[in-house]
Amino acid sequence: MMLEKIIALSRKSSPWVCHFNSGGCNACDIEVMATLTPRFDVERFGIQLKGSPRHADILVCTGPVTKQIRERLLRVYHQMPTPKYIAAVGSCALSGGVFYDCYNVLGGIDRVLPVDVYVPGCPPRPDAIIAGIVKVLQKMEADALELGDQGRASAAEGGNSRVSH
Amino acid sequence: MAIIDDLFKILVFPGFLFVVNLGLFLEWLDRKIYARLQNRVGPPWYQPWLDILKLLSKEDVIPEGASRFMFTWLPVFYLAVTVTASLCIPVGTYAAIYSFPGDLIVVLFLLTLATIILFLLGWYSGSPFGRVGAVRAVTQFLAYEVPLVAALLTQALLADSWSISLVMARTTVGFPRFVVVHLTALAVALISLQGKLLRVPFDAPEAETEIVAGPFTEYTGRRLAFIRLAERTEMAVGVGLVSDLFLPFPARLGVLGFVISAILVTFVLSVLRASVARFRIEDTTVLAWKYILPFSALGMVLAIIVRG
Ligand code: SF4
Repeated sequence: MMLEKIIALSRKSSPWVCHFNSGGCNACDIEVMATLTPRFDVERFGIQLKGSPRHADILVCTGPVTKQIRERLLRVYHQMPTPKYIAAVGSCALSGGVFYDCYNVLGGIDRVLPVDVYVPGCPPRPDAIIAGIVKVLQKMEADALELGDQGRASAAEGGNSRVSH
Repeated sequence: MAIIDDLFKILVFPGFLFVVNLGLFLEWLDRKIYARLQNRVGPPWYQPWLDILKLLSKEDVIPEGASRFMFTWLPVFYLAVTVTASLCIPVGTYAAIYSFPGDLIVVLFLLTLATIILFLLGWYSGSPFGRVGAVRAVTQFLAYEVPLVAALLTQALLADSWSISLVMARTTVGFPRFVVVHLTALAVALISLQGKLLRVPFDAPEAETEIVAGPFTEYTGRRLAFIRLAERTEMAVGVGLVSDLFLPFPARLGVLGFVISAILVTFVLSVLRASVARFRIEDTTVLAWKYILPFSALGMVLAIIVRG
């Protein structure tokens, strides 16, 4: 029990994020970058941007999933070590947004990956993105308390029913 | 009893636990100063320890293209080498666990070995980013190693000894006469230490905006935790070495003086990190060979002249 508590504390205090744009218009990415600027100081919460998906705990996805990017998105997802969490940022990542029903667009991130938290907005403000990450942290803590270092049951089973690989 | 005493020295103080924790503390200090210089609050003091704990509890992936043996053992060797180097560093007046005439050379050699391991880490990780980072690490090594050794050699020349503890005891001998030489060597040592520790402006080997994370790109979980611990230990060893050899406090104030000087040196390194941008790898080499090396050679010649 003690061990689970320590793991939960360390996971929720040191979330490293990796940022992936799967085909958005770039405004969401600018907002994600703005979130990481000194003004919002997310390092207070231990949040750090990592270049490598191998180091990341949370994948911040922006934009709709295009047919072209689907393979790459999956590859990046599979490169992440468990436990891994996905935050979908922006209307496009939620549902396809303005690109909904385009010939080359599959739809939101949850058509491909199990999404943990949805941050709406076109683009969402940095405050909203931080709020989204905090929701992921709560989920992380709950998972770690329940499963210790055993990763996540929910994602392994494809927790989200709309997932299609 | 002697065995228990030795074990305590090696494992707790001034050995393993002390250096690793000093390294993590210096990491926090560095991040905090960096944050304050950007006018933000920065991470809480326990952040580096939690980062390590989190990495330890994550999944451990061995990529298909990587060499299994190297991938498993290199992080361990990396930590082993840096911790071994720390055994020769006296903590203020508290003698080093293993000290003999010439331990300065051994520490320098072990730190060089750490860079070679860094190269192998990247080379065998089976990722092109890792390889580019590895080659850059070695290129940069050619740039900073000579000035670093020259700067430390200047101190050793002034003190007329290759033993760290003797040089430390003699840092203030002949005080006003040696000041210029001291400061020249200190400046060169600080700049090349920044390169040794792969920090901005010499972080081209792990430049996250171009080659993902350089040699560490493919490492996850506890392997990455080991690498981080090794890097922090390397930082503690480097900073400790410079404070022992150059600053007057460790020999006067003992352990407290050692920690104070380590904090001072880290402060300078952090301000340097916060105020400059990254050099391209060829600029690093040009800077080192055209400007820093002549400067350090000048320091050495001066040292020989003033000692007479
Ligand atoms: S949600 Fe809006 S801002 Fe974000 S990628 Fe889509 S269109 Fe661009």
